[in-house]
Amino acid sequence: MKRTMHIDRLGIISKILLIGFIFSILSSLVVIVVWSLAGRWAWPHLLPENFSLRGMQELFGGYSGAMETLFFSIGLSLVVALLAVIIGTMTARALVFYDFYGKRVIDLSTFLPIIIPGTVFAMGINVIFIEMGLSDSVAGVIVAHLICSLPYAIKIMTDITQAFGRKLEEQAAVLGASFRQTMAFITLPSLLPGLIASGCMAYIVSFSQYFLTLIIGGGTVMTFSVKMVPYLQSGDRTLASAYSLVFVCSTLLVFIIFEKTIKKFYRDESRYYFA
Amino acid sequence: MRKAVPYILLLPVMLLTLIFIGGIVNVIIQSLGIIPSLGLYKPTLSYYQEVLSRPDFLSSIAFSLYISFVSSLLAAILGVLVCALLVGNGLAKGKIMQITKIPIVIPHTVVALLIINIFSQSGLLPRLLYALGLISAQESFPSLLFAPNGIGIILAYLWKEIPFVVFFVISIMANISTTLGEAAQNLGASPGQSFRYVILPLCMPAVKNAFLIIFAFSLGAYELPFLLGATAPKALPVQAFIEYTHSDLLHRPYAMALNSIMFFISLIIVVFYYRLLQGNLKKIER
Repeated sequence: MKRTMHIDRLGIISKILLIGFIFSILSSLVVIVVWSLAGRWAWPHLLPENFSLRGMQELFGGYSGAMETLFFSIGLSLVVALLAVIIGTMTARALVFYDFYGKRVIDLSTFLPIIIPGTVFAMGINVIFIEMGLSDSVAGVIVAHLICSLPYAIKIMTDITQAFGRKLEEQAAVLGASFRQTMAFITLPSLLPGLIASGCMAYIVSFSQYFLTLIIGGGTVMTFSVKMVPYLQSGDRTLASAYSLVFVCSTLLVFIIFEKTIKKFYRDESRYYFA
Repeated sequence: MRKAVPYILLLPVMLLTLIFIGGIVNVIIQSLGIIPSLGLYKPTLSYYQEVLSRPDFLSSIAFSLYISFVSSLLAAILGVLVCALLVGNGLAKGKIMQITKIPIVIPHTVVALLIINIFSQSGLLPRLLYALGLISAQESFPSLLFAPNGIGIILAYLWKEIPFVVFFVISIMANISTTLGEAAQNLGASPGQSFRYVILPLCMPAVKNAFLIIFAFSLGAYELPFLLGATAPKALPVQAFIEYTHSDLLHRPYAMALNSIMFFISLIIVVFYYRLLQGNLKKIER
Protein backbone atom coordinates (compact mmCIF):
# COMPACT_ATOMS: atom_id res chain seq x y z
CA MET A 1 0.00 0.00 0.00
CA LYS A 2 2.68 2.38 1.07
CA ARG A 3 4.74 1.44 -1.96
CA THR A 4 1.97 2.19 -4.48
CA MET A 5 1.47 5.61 -2.93
CA HIS A 6 5.18 6.26 -3.25
CA ILE A 7 5.10 5.24 -6.89
CA ASP A 8 2.04 7.43 -7.51
CA ARG A 9 3.78 10.45 -6.10
CA LEU A 10 6.87 9.67 -8.18
CA GLY A 11 4.64 9.36 -11.23
CA ILE A 12 3.12 12.79 -10.63
CA ILE A 13 6.49 14.43 -10.07
CA SER A 14 7.86 12.83 -13.21
CA LYS A 15 4.87 14.08 -15.23
CA ILE A 16 5.31 17.60 -13.89
CA LEU A 17 9.01 17.56 -14.79
CA LEU A 18 8.24 16.30 -18.28
CA ILE A 19 5.59 18.95 -18.82
CA GLY A 20 8.13 21.54 -17.66
CA PHE A 21 10.65 20.26 -20.19
CA ILE A 22 8.18 20.29 -23.08
CA PHE A 23 6.87 23.69 -21.97
CA SER A 24 10.37 25.21 -21.97
CA ILE A 25 10.82 24.13 -25.58
CA LEU A 26 7.42 25.21 -26.91
CA SER A 27 6.97 28.41 -24.90
CA SER A 28 10.20 29.96 -26.18
CA LEU A 29 9.05 29.30 -29.74
CA VAL A 30 5.62 30.80 -29.09
CA VAL A 31 7.32 33.90 -27.69
CA ILE A 32 9.13 34.32 -31.03
CA VAL A 33 5.85 34.15 -32.94
CA VAL A 34 4.27 36.78 -30.67
CA TRP A 35 7.33 39.05 -30.79
CA SER A 36 7.47 38.89 -34.60
CA LEU A 37 3.98 40.40 -34.73
CA ALA A 38 4.36 42.80 -31.83
CA GLY A 39 4.19 46.56 -32.29
CA ARG A 40 4.80 48.16 -28.93
CA TRP A 41 5.64 45.80 -26.08
CA ALA A 42 7.30 47.73 -23.28
CA TRP A 43 8.11 46.71 -19.71
CA PRO A 44 6.19 45.46 -17.70
CA HIS A 45 3.40 44.32 -20.05
CA LEU A 46 2.93 40.59 -20.33
CA LEU A 47 1.31 40.89 -23.75
CA PRO A 48 2.09 43.31 -26.60
CA GLU A 49 0.28 46.64 -26.32
CA ASN A 50 -0.43 46.55 -30.04
CA PHE A 51 0.37 44.38 -33.02
CA SER A 52 2.09 45.39 -36.23
CA LEU A 53 3.10 43.86 -39.51
CA ARG A 54 6.37 45.78 -39.55
CA GLY A 55 8.43 42.63 -39.13
CA MET A 56 6.62 40.75 -41.86
CA GLN A 57 6.81 43.73 -44.22
CA GLU A 58 10.54 43.92 -43.74
CA LEU A 59 10.83 40.28 -44.75
CA PHE A 60 8.17 39.97 -47.44
CA GLY A 61 7.89 43.63 -48.55
CA GLY A 62 10.55 43.22 -51.21
CA TYR A 63 12.71 46.19 -50.23
CA SER A 64 15.09 44.45 -47.83
CA GLY A 65 16.18 41.68 -50.19
CA ALA A 66 15.39 39.15 -47.46
CA MET A 67 13.47 36.84 -49.80
CA GLU A 68 16.21 36.77 -52.44
CA THR A 69 18.71 35.89 -49.74
CA LEU A 70 16.37 33.22 -48.38
CA PHE A 71 15.93 31.54 -51.76
CA PHE A 72 19.62 31.73 -52.56
CA SER A 73 20.39 30.26 -49.15
CA ILE A 74 17.89 27.41 -49.57
CA GLY A 75 19.39 26.63 -52.99
CA LEU A 76 22.93 26.61 -51.62
CA SER A 77 22.01 24.33 -48.72
CA LEU A 78 20.11 21.98 -51.04
CA VAL A 79 23.25 21.59 -53.14
CA VAL A 80 25.26 20.86 -49.98
CA ALA A 81 22.61 18.35 -48.82
CA LEU A 82 22.56 16.57 -52.18
CA LEU A 83 26.35 16.30 -52.30
CA ALA A 84 26.48 15.16 -48.67
CA VAL A 85 23.92 12.43 -49.32
CA ILE A 86 25.78 11.14 -52.38
CA ILE A 87 29.23 11.22 -50.76
CA GLY A 88 27.79 9.91 -47.47
CA THR A 89 26.23 6.92 -49.24
CA MET A 90 29.45 6.14 -51.11
CA THR A 91 31.55 6.39 -47.96
CA ALA A 92 29.11 4.25 -45.99
CA ARG A 93 29.23 1.49 -48.63
CA ALA A 94 33.01 1.49 -48.61
CA LEU A 95 33.18 1.37 -44.81
CA VAL A 96 30.48 -1.27 -44.35
CA PHE A 97 31.02 -3.67 -47.25
CA TYR A 98 34.79 -3.63 -47.82
CA ASP A 99 37.92 -4.39 -45.90
CA PHE A 100 40.84 -2.32 -47.00
CA TYR A 101 44.09 -0.81 -45.86
CA GLY A 102 43.63 2.27 -43.69
CA LYS A 103 39.97 1.62 -42.89
CA ARG A 104 40.28 2.52 -39.21
CA VAL A 105 42.05 5.81 -39.95
CA ILE A 106 39.41 6.84 -42.46
CA ASP A 107 36.62 5.76 -40.14
CA LEU A 108 37.98 8.00 -37.39
CA SER A 109 38.93 10.90 -39.65
CA THR A 110 35.42 11.20 -41.09
CA PHE A 111 34.32 12.03 -37.55
CA LEU A 112 36.92 14.75 -36.88
CA PRO A 113 34.88 17.76 -38.11
CA ILE A 114 32.33 17.11 -35.35
CA ILE A 115 34.89 17.17 -32.56
CA ILE A 116 37.41 19.72 -33.81
CA PRO A 117 35.99 23.23 -33.38
CA GLY A 118 34.51 24.90 -36.43
CA THR A 119 36.23 28.18 -35.60
CA VAL A 120 39.67 26.56 -35.76
CA PHE A 121 38.86 24.96 -39.10
CA ALA A 122 37.30 28.15 -40.49
CA MET A 123 40.28 30.40 -39.77
CA GLY A 124 42.76 27.76 -40.90
CA ILE A 125 41.02 26.93 -44.14
CA ASN A 126 40.37 30.53 -45.13
CA VAL A 127 44.02 31.21 -45.95
CA ILE A 128 44.22 28.04 -48.05
CA PHE A 129 40.99 28.97 -49.83
CA ILE A 130 42.37 32.42 -50.64
CA GLU A 131 45.32 30.73 -52.36
CA MET A 132 43.03 28.30 -54.19
CA GLY A 133 40.74 31.13 -55.29
CA LEU A 134 37.83 29.62 -53.38
CA SER A 135 37.57 32.41 -50.84
CA ASP A 136 34.61 34.79 -51.17
CA SER A 137 33.03 32.35 -53.64
CA VAL A 138 29.89 30.24 -53.56
CA ALA A 139 31.96 27.15 -54.40
CA GLY A 140 34.20 27.74 -51.40
CA VAL A 141 31.23 28.10 -49.07
CA ILE A 142 29.72 24.89 -50.46
CA VAL A 143 32.96 22.95 -49.89
CA ALA A 144 33.28 24.30 -46.34
CA HIS A 145 29.65 23.51 -45.50
CA LEU A 146 30.05 20.07 -47.01
CA ILE A 147 32.99 19.28 -44.73
CA CYS A 148 30.90 20.23 -41.68
CA SER A 149 27.78 18.32 -42.65
CA LEU A 150 29.38 15.15 -44.03
CA PRO A 151 30.12 13.48 -40.66
CA TYR A 152 26.39 13.41 -39.88
CA ALA A 153 25.45 12.10 -43.32
CA ILE A 154 28.13 9.42 -43.12
CA LYS A 155 27.03 8.33 -39.64
CA ILE A 156 23.37 8.02 -40.64
CA MET A 157 24.15 6.25 -43.93
CA THR A 158 26.61 3.86 -42.26
CA ASP A 159 23.99 2.84 -39.70
CA ILE A 160 21.30 2.16 -42.28
CA THR A 161 23.66 0.47 -44.75
CA GLN A 162 24.81 -1.82 -41.96
CA ALA A 163 21.25 -2.57 -40.88
CA PHE A 164 20.10 -3.36 -44.40
CA GLY A 165 23.10 -5.41 -45.48
CA ARG A 166 23.55 -6.49 -49.05
CA LYS A 167 21.59 -9.76 -49.25
CA LEU A 168 18.74 -8.33 -51.34
CA GLU A 169 21.19 -6.69 -53.72
CA GLU A 170 22.98 -9.99 -54.22
CA GLN A 171 19.69 -11.75 -54.82
CA ALA A 172 18.73 -9.19 -57.45
CA ALA A 173 22.08 -9.67 -59.14
CA VAL A 174 21.64 -13.47 -59.09
CA LEU A 175 18.23 -13.03 -60.69
CA GLY A 176 19.87 -11.13 -63.52
CA ALA A 177 19.33 -7.49 -62.59
CA SER A 178 21.83 -5.05 -63.98
CA PHE A 179 23.81 -2.71 -61.70
CA ARG A 180 21.51 0.17 -62.59
CA GLN A 181 18.35 -1.85 -61.95
CA THR A 182 19.66 -3.05 -58.59
CA MET A 183 20.53 0.52 -57.64
CA ALA A 184 17.17 1.96 -58.69
CA PHE A 185 14.85 -0.77 -57.42
CA ILE A 186 16.66 -2.32 -54.46
CA THR A 187 19.43 -0.19 -53.00
CA LEU A 188 17.97 3.31 -53.15
CA PRO A 189 14.42 2.44 -51.97
CA SER A 190 15.77 0.46 -49.04
CA LEU A 191 18.11 3.27 -48.03
CA LEU A 192 15.36 5.89 -48.46
CA PRO A 193 14.76 6.70 -44.76
CA GLY A 194 18.51 7.21 -44.32
CA LEU A 195 18.75 9.31 -47.47
CA ILE A 196 16.00 11.60 -46.22
CA ALA A 197 17.42 11.80 -42.69
CA SER A 198 20.97 12.51 -43.80
CA GLY A 199 19.76 15.01 -46.40
CA CYS A 200 17.76 16.89 -43.77
CA MET A 201 20.66 16.84 -41.32
CA ALA A 202 23.16 18.08 -43.90
CA TYR A 203 20.70 20.76 -44.99
CA ILE A 204 20.20 22.09 -41.48
CA VAL A 205 23.92 22.07 -40.69
CA SER A 206 24.60 24.07 -43.85
CA PHE A 207 21.62 26.40 -43.48
CA SER A 208 22.58 27.26 -39.87
CA GLN A 209 26.27 28.04 -40.49
CA TYR A 210 27.00 31.60 -39.49
CA PHE A 211 30.67 31.90 -38.57
CA LEU A 212 32.01 29.64 -41.30
CA THR A 213 29.96 31.35 -44.00
CA LEU A 214 31.00 34.76 -42.73
CA ILE A 215 34.71 33.90 -42.91
CA ILE A 216 34.77 31.91 -46.15
CA GLY A 217 32.09 33.97 -47.88
CA GLY A 218 33.75 37.18 -46.72
CA GLY A 219 30.44 39.04 -46.84
CA THR A 220 30.21 38.45 -50.61
CA VAL A 221 28.26 35.22 -50.22
CA MET A 222 25.23 36.33 -48.25
CA THR A 223 23.19 33.52 -46.71
CA PHE A 224 20.07 33.96 -44.61
CA SER A 225 22.01 33.03 -41.46
CA VAL A 226 24.57 35.75 -42.11
CA LYS A 227 21.91 38.33 -42.99
CA MET A 228 19.92 37.53 -39.85
CA VAL A 229 22.60 38.01 -37.19
CA PRO A 230 22.87 41.82 -37.30
CA TYR A 231 19.13 41.95 -36.58
CA LEU A 232 19.61 39.60 -33.62
CA GLN A 233 22.28 41.97 -32.29
CA SER A 234 20.37 45.17 -32.99
CA GLY A 235 17.94 44.89 -30.08
CA ASP A 236 14.95 45.31 -32.41
CA ARG A 237 13.19 42.19 -31.22
CA THR A 238 10.30 42.43 -33.66
CA LEU A 239 12.63 42.23 -36.66
CA ALA A 240 14.92 39.70 -34.98
CA SER A 241 11.97 37.44 -34.18
CA ALA A 242 10.50 37.83 -37.66
CA TYR A 243 13.78 36.73 -39.23
CA SER A 244 14.08 33.80 -36.82
CA LEU A 245 10.51 32.73 -37.46
CA VAL A 246 11.02 32.73 -41.23
CA PHE A 247 14.28 30.83 -40.74
CA VAL A 248 12.62 28.06 -38.75
CA CYS A 249 9.45 27.86 -40.87
CA SER A 250 11.37 27.75 -44.15
CA THR A 251 13.47 24.87 -42.80
CA LEU A 252 10.40 22.87 -41.79
CA LEU A 253 8.77 23.60 -45.14
CA VAL A 254 11.84 22.42 -47.05
CA PHE A 255 11.92 19.22 -44.96
CA ILE A 256 8.26 18.47 -45.65
CA ILE A 257 8.58 19.12 -49.39
CA PHE A 258 11.80 17.12 -49.46
CA GLU A 259 10.24 14.07 -47.81
CA LYS A 260 6.97 14.25 -49.80
CA THR A 261 8.68 14.53 -53.20
CA ILE A 262 11.11 11.69 -52.60
CA LYS A 263 8.39 9.39 -51.26
CA LYS A 264 6.00 10.28 -54.09
CA PHE A 265 8.72 9.76 -56.66
CA TYR A 266 9.40 6.31 -55.30
CA ARG A 267 5.76 5.34 -54.99
CA ASP A 268 5.12 6.25 -58.63
CA GLU A 269 8.26 4.50 -59.80
CA SER A 270 7.70 1.32 -57.90
CA ARG A 271 3.98 0.98 -58.52
CA TYR A 272 4.48 -1.12 -61.62
CA TYR A 273 7.01 -3.39 -60.01
CA PHE A 274 5.71 -4.08 -56.54
CA ALA A 275 1.94 -3.87 -57.07
CA MET B 1 39.88 -4.08 -59.88
CA ARG B 2 37.71 -5.10 -56.95
CA LYS B 3 40.41 -3.95 -54.58
CA ALA B 4 40.11 -0.45 -55.99
CA VAL B 5 36.34 -0.20 -55.41
CA PRO B 6 36.44 1.04 -51.80
CA TYR B 7 39.08 3.62 -52.65
CA ILE B 8 37.01 4.94 -55.55
CA LEU B 9 33.99 5.19 -53.25
CA LEU B 10 36.12 7.00 -50.69
CA LEU B 11 37.75 9.41 -53.11
CA PRO B 12 35.48 12.43 -52.45
CA VAL B 13 35.51 12.04 -48.68
CA MET B 14 39.29 11.65 -48.64
CA LEU B 15 39.66 14.79 -50.72
CA LEU B 16 37.46 16.77 -48.31
CA THR B 17 39.26 15.31 -45.29
CA LEU B 18 42.56 16.42 -46.81
CA ILE B 19 41.24 19.97 -47.14
CA PHE B 20 40.07 19.79 -43.53
CA ILE B 21 43.42 18.54 -42.27
CA GLY B 22 45.16 21.14 -44.43
CA GLY B 23 43.21 23.83 -42.59
CA ILE B 24 44.24 22.48 -39.21
CA VAL B 25 47.90 22.08 -40.21
CA ASN B 26 47.84 25.64 -41.48
CA VAL B 27 46.61 26.85 -38.08
CA ILE B 28 49.47 25.07 -36.32
CA ILE B 29 52.12 26.33 -38.76
CA GLN B 30 50.93 29.93 -38.42
CA SER B 31 50.74 29.61 -34.63
CA LEU B 32 54.47 28.81 -34.70
CA GLY B 33 54.99 32.16 -36.37
CA ILE B 34 55.59 30.93 -39.91
CA ILE B 35 53.67 33.17 -42.30
CA PRO B 36 55.77 33.77 -45.44
CA SER B 37 53.35 36.36 -46.85
CA LEU B 38 53.98 38.53 -43.79
CA GLY B 39 57.71 37.92 -43.91
CA LEU B 40 57.72 35.57 -40.93
CA TYR B 41 59.83 32.48 -41.54
CA LYS B 42 61.42 31.46 -38.25
CA PRO B 43 59.52 28.91 -36.16
CA THR B 44 59.09 30.02 -32.57
CA LEU B 45 57.07 29.14 -29.51
CA SER B 46 57.01 32.74 -28.33
CA TYR B 47 53.37 33.27 -29.36
CA TYR B 48 52.28 30.37 -27.19
CA GLN B 49 54.44 31.68 -24.34
CA GLU B 50 52.85 35.09 -24.66
CA VAL B 51 49.32 33.72 -24.97
CA LEU B 52 49.85 31.57 -21.90
CA SER B 53 51.16 34.46 -19.83
CA ARG B 54 48.78 37.27 -20.76
CA PRO B 55 45.92 37.55 -18.22
CA ASP B 56 43.21 38.36 -20.80
CA PHE B 57 44.09 35.32 -22.91
CA LEU B 58 44.30 33.09 -19.84
CA SER B 59 40.90 34.25 -18.64
CA SER B 60 39.54 33.51 -22.13
CA ILE B 61 40.79 29.93 -21.89
CA ALA B 62 39.41 29.53 -18.37
CA PHE B 63 36.07 31.10 -19.34
CA SER B 64 35.63 28.79 -22.35
CA LEU B 65 36.49 25.69 -20.35
CA TYR B 66 34.07 26.78 -17.61
CA ILE B 67 31.20 27.45 -20.03
CA SER B 68 31.66 24.18 -21.92
CA PHE B 69 32.18 22.04 -18.87
CA VAL B 70 29.25 23.38 -16.84
CA SER B 71 26.81 23.42 -19.77
CA SER B 72 27.80 19.97 -21.04
CA LEU B 73 27.74 18.35 -17.62
CA LEU B 74 24.33 19.83 -16.78
CA ALA B 75 23.03 18.90 -20.24
CA ALA B 76 24.21 15.31 -19.79
CA ILE B 77 22.64 14.98 -16.32
CA LEU B 78 19.35 16.66 -17.25
CA GLY B 79 19.26 14.86 -20.59
CA VAL B 80 19.53 11.49 -18.87
CA LEU B 81 16.82 12.57 -16.42
CA VAL B 82 14.46 13.55 -19.26
CA CYS B 83 15.28 10.28 -21.03
CA ALA B 84 14.42 8.30 -17.91
CA LEU B 85 11.16 10.23 -17.53
CA LEU B 86 10.22 9.65 -21.17
CA VAL B 87 11.06 5.95 -21.05
CA GLY B 88 9.38 5.54 -17.65
CA ASN B 89 6.17 7.05 -18.98
CA GLY B 90 6.30 5.01 -22.19
CA LEU B 91 6.89 8.09 -24.36
CA ALA B 92 10.12 7.09 -26.09
CA LYS B 93 8.34 7.30 -29.43
CA GLY B 94 5.59 9.53 -30.78
CA LYS B 95 4.58 13.19 -30.53
CA ILE B 96 6.54 14.12 -27.41
CA MET B 97 9.70 12.80 -29.01
CA GLN B 98 8.97 14.94 -32.09
CA ILE B 99 8.79 18.03 -29.88
CA THR B 100 12.07 17.05 -28.23
CA LYS B 101 13.73 17.04 -31.64
CA ILE B 102 12.74 20.66 -32.41
CA PRO B 103 15.73 22.35 -30.69
CA ILE B 104 18.10 20.24 -32.78
CA VAL B 105 17.01 22.07 -35.95
CA ILE B 106 17.05 25.55 -34.37
CA PRO B 107 20.39 27.29 -35.01
CA HIS B 108 22.43 28.72 -32.14
CA THR B 109 21.90 32.26 -33.39
CA VAL B 110 18.12 31.89 -32.98
CA VAL B 111 18.58 30.19 -29.60
CA ALA B 112 20.41 33.34 -28.47
CA LEU B 113 17.31 35.36 -29.34
CA LEU B 114 15.03 32.92 -27.48
CA ILE B 115 17.14 33.36 -24.37
CA ILE B 116 17.22 37.16 -24.73
CA ASN B 117 13.41 37.24 -25.13
CA ILE B 118 12.94 35.40 -21.87
CA PHE B 119 15.90 36.01 -19.55
CA SER B 120 17.06 39.56 -20.29
CA GLN B 121 16.08 42.26 -17.80
CA SER B 122 13.21 43.29 -20.07
CA GLY B 123 12.40 39.68 -20.93
CA LEU B 124 9.29 37.73 -20.19
CA LEU B 125 10.53 36.03 -17.03
CA PRO B 126 11.22 39.26 -15.09
CA ARG B 127 7.88 40.63 -16.38
CA LEU B 128 6.13 37.56 -15.02
CA LEU B 129 7.91 37.83 -11.67
CA TYR B 130 7.01 41.53 -11.53
CA ALA B 131 3.35 40.79 -12.27
CA LEU B 132 3.37 38.21 -9.48
CA GLY B 133 4.90 40.79 -7.14
CA LEU B 134 8.07 38.76 -6.64
CA ILE B 135 10.38 41.54 -7.80
CA SER B 136 9.78 45.25 -7.38
CA ALA B 137 11.57 46.64 -10.42
CA GLN B 138 13.24 45.66 -13.66
CA GLU B 139 16.66 46.17 -12.11
CA SER B 140 16.06 43.76 -9.25
CA PHE B 141 16.16 40.87 -11.71
CA PRO B 142 19.79 39.69 -11.86
CA SER B 143 21.53 40.36 -15.16
CA LEU B 144 22.12 36.89 -16.53
CA LEU B 145 23.03 37.87 -20.07
CA PHE B 146 26.19 39.66 -21.21
CA ALA B 147 27.53 39.00 -17.71
CA PRO B 148 30.98 37.62 -16.76
CA ASN B 149 29.29 34.64 -15.09
CA GLY B 150 28.22 33.38 -18.51
CA ILE B 151 24.83 32.18 -17.28
CA GLY B 152 23.06 33.33 -20.44
CA ILE B 153 25.43 31.32 -22.63
CA ILE B 154 25.02 28.25 -20.40
CA LEU B 155 21.21 28.54 -20.49
CA ALA B 156 21.29 28.78 -24.27
CA TYR B 157 23.53 25.73 -24.57
CA LEU B 158 21.26 23.79 -22.21
CA TRP B 159 18.19 24.61 -24.32
CA LYS B 160 19.96 23.20 -27.34
CA GLU B 161 21.95 20.34 -25.81
CA ILE B 162 19.55 18.64 -23.38
CA PRO B 163 17.39 17.55 -26.35
CA PHE B 164 20.56 16.46 -28.15
CA VAL B 165 21.52 14.20 -25.25
CA VAL B 166 17.95 12.85 -25.14
CA PHE B 167 18.05 12.18 -28.88
CA PHE B 168 21.42 10.47 -28.53
CA VAL B 169 20.57 8.25 -25.57
CA ILE B 170 16.84 7.52 -25.74
CA SER B 171 16.73 4.66 -28.22
CA ILE B 172 19.38 2.67 -26.36
CA MET B 173 17.76 3.41 -22.99
CA ALA B 174 14.30 2.40 -24.24
CA ASN B 175 15.81 -0.78 -25.57
CA ILE B 176 17.62 -1.72 -22.37
CA SER B 177 14.61 -0.75 -20.26
CA THR B 178 12.23 -3.13 -22.04
CA THR B 179 14.69 -6.03 -21.96
CA LEU B 180 17.17 -6.03 -19.08
CA GLY B 181 15.35 -3.42 -16.99
CA GLU B 182 12.19 -5.47 -16.87
CA ALA B 183 14.16 -8.62 -16.22
CA ALA B 184 15.71 -6.93 -13.18
CA GLN B 185 12.27 -5.91 -11.94
CA ASN B 186 10.95 -9.43 -12.40
CA LEU B 187 13.81 -10.57 -10.18
CA GLY B 188 12.58 -8.18 -7.48
CA ALA B 189 14.40 -4.91 -8.13
CA SER B 190 12.45 -1.70 -7.60
CA PRO B 191 12.15 0.64 -10.62
CA GLY B 192 14.73 2.86 -8.95
CA GLN B 193 17.17 0.00 -8.39
CA SER B 194 16.70 -1.29 -11.90
CA PHE B 195 17.49 2.19 -13.23
CA ARG B 196 20.45 2.77 -10.92
CA TYR B 197 22.17 -0.60 -11.26
CA VAL B 198 21.10 -1.93 -14.66
CA ILE B 199 19.84 0.70 -17.09
CA LEU B 200 22.11 3.65 -16.24
CA PRO B 201 25.44 1.75 -16.31
CA LEU B 202 24.56 0.24 -19.68
CA CYS B 203 23.63 3.67 -21.09
CA MET B 204 26.80 5.34 -19.77
CA PRO B 205 28.91 4.85 -22.92
CA ALA B 206 26.25 6.65 -24.98
CA VAL B 207 25.98 9.41 -22.37
CA LYS B 208 29.76 9.87 -22.23
CA ASN B 209 29.81 9.96 -26.00
CA ALA B 210 27.15 12.67 -26.11
CA PHE B 211 29.01 14.61 -23.39
CA LEU B 212 32.27 14.59 -25.37
CA ILE B 213 30.53 15.78 -28.52
CA ILE B 214 28.73 18.70 -26.88
CA PHE B 215 31.78 19.60 -24.78
CA ALA B 216 33.98 19.81 -27.85
CA PHE B 217 31.33 21.70 -29.77
CA SER B 218 30.62 24.31 -27.12
CA LEU B 219 34.32 24.85 -26.50
CA GLY B 220 34.89 25.92 -30.08
CA ALA B 221 31.60 27.52 -31.07
CA TYR B 222 31.58 31.24 -31.84
CA GLU B 223 27.89 32.17 -32.11
CA LEU B 224 26.56 32.02 -28.54
CA PRO B 225 29.46 33.65 -26.68
CA PHE B 226 29.52 36.28 -29.43
CA LEU B 227 25.81 37.07 -29.08
CA LEU B 228 25.32 36.54 -25.33
CA GLY B 229 28.79 37.03 -23.82
CA ALA B 230 30.25 39.86 -21.77
CA THR B 231 32.93 42.27 -23.01
CA ALA B 232 35.32 40.54 -20.63
CA PRO B 233 36.18 37.76 -20.29
CA LYS B 234 35.67 36.75 -23.91
CA ALA B 235 35.36 33.13 -24.95
CA LEU B 236 38.31 31.60 -26.81
CA PRO B 237 36.72 31.57 -30.29
CA VAL B 238 35.60 35.20 -29.92
CA GLN B 239 39.04 36.30 -28.72
CA ALA B 240 40.71 34.33 -31.51
CA PHE B 241 38.52 35.97 -34.14
CA ILE B 242 39.30 39.44 -32.77
CA GLU B 243 43.02 38.72 -33.15
CA TYR B 244 42.40 37.20 -36.58
CA THR B 245 40.65 40.31 -37.90
CA HIS B 246 43.03 42.72 -36.14
CA SER B 247 44.11 45.55 -38.44
CA ASP B 248 47.73 44.74 -37.59
CA LEU B 249 48.30 41.52 -39.52
CA LEU B 250 51.13 40.57 -37.18
CA HIS B 251 48.43 39.62 -34.66
CA ARG B 252 47.57 36.63 -36.86
CA PRO B 253 49.93 34.21 -35.00
CA TYR B 254 48.18 35.03 -31.69
CA ALA B 255 44.84 34.09 -33.24
CA MET B 256 46.34 30.86 -34.49
CA ALA B 257 47.97 30.08 -31.13
CA LEU B 258 44.56 30.44 -29.47
CA ASN B 259 43.07 28.24 -32.18
CA SER B 260 45.80 25.67 -31.64
CA ILE B 261 45.04 25.56 -27.94
CA MET B 262 41.38 24.85 -28.80
CA PHE B 263 42.57 22.23 -31.25
CA PHE B 264 44.80 20.46 -28.72
CA ILE B 265 42.01 20.37 -26.14
CA SER B 266 39.70 18.85 -28.73
CA LEU B 267 42.44 16.38 -29.67
CA ILE B 268 42.43 15.15 -26.08
CA ILE B 269 38.68 14.71 -26.44
CA VAL B 270 39.19 12.71 -29.65
CA VAL B 271 41.53 10.37 -27.77
CA PHE B 272 38.91 9.88 -25.05
CA TYR B 273 36.28 9.35 -27.69
CA TYR B 274 38.38 6.79 -29.51
CA ARG B 275 39.11 4.86 -26.32
CA LEU B 276 35.42 4.88 -25.49
CA LEU B 277 34.69 3.50 -28.94
CA GLN B 278 37.33 0.78 -28.53
CA GLY B 279 35.95 -0.11 -25.10
CA ASN B 280 32.49 -0.55 -26.58
CA LEU B 281 33.82 -2.79 -29.33
CA LYS B 282 35.60 -4.99 -26.78
CA LYS B 283 32.42 -5.31 -24.72
CA ILE B 284 30.48 -6.38 -27.80
CA GLU B 285 33.17 -8.86 -28.83
CA ARG B 286 33.09 -10.40 -25.37
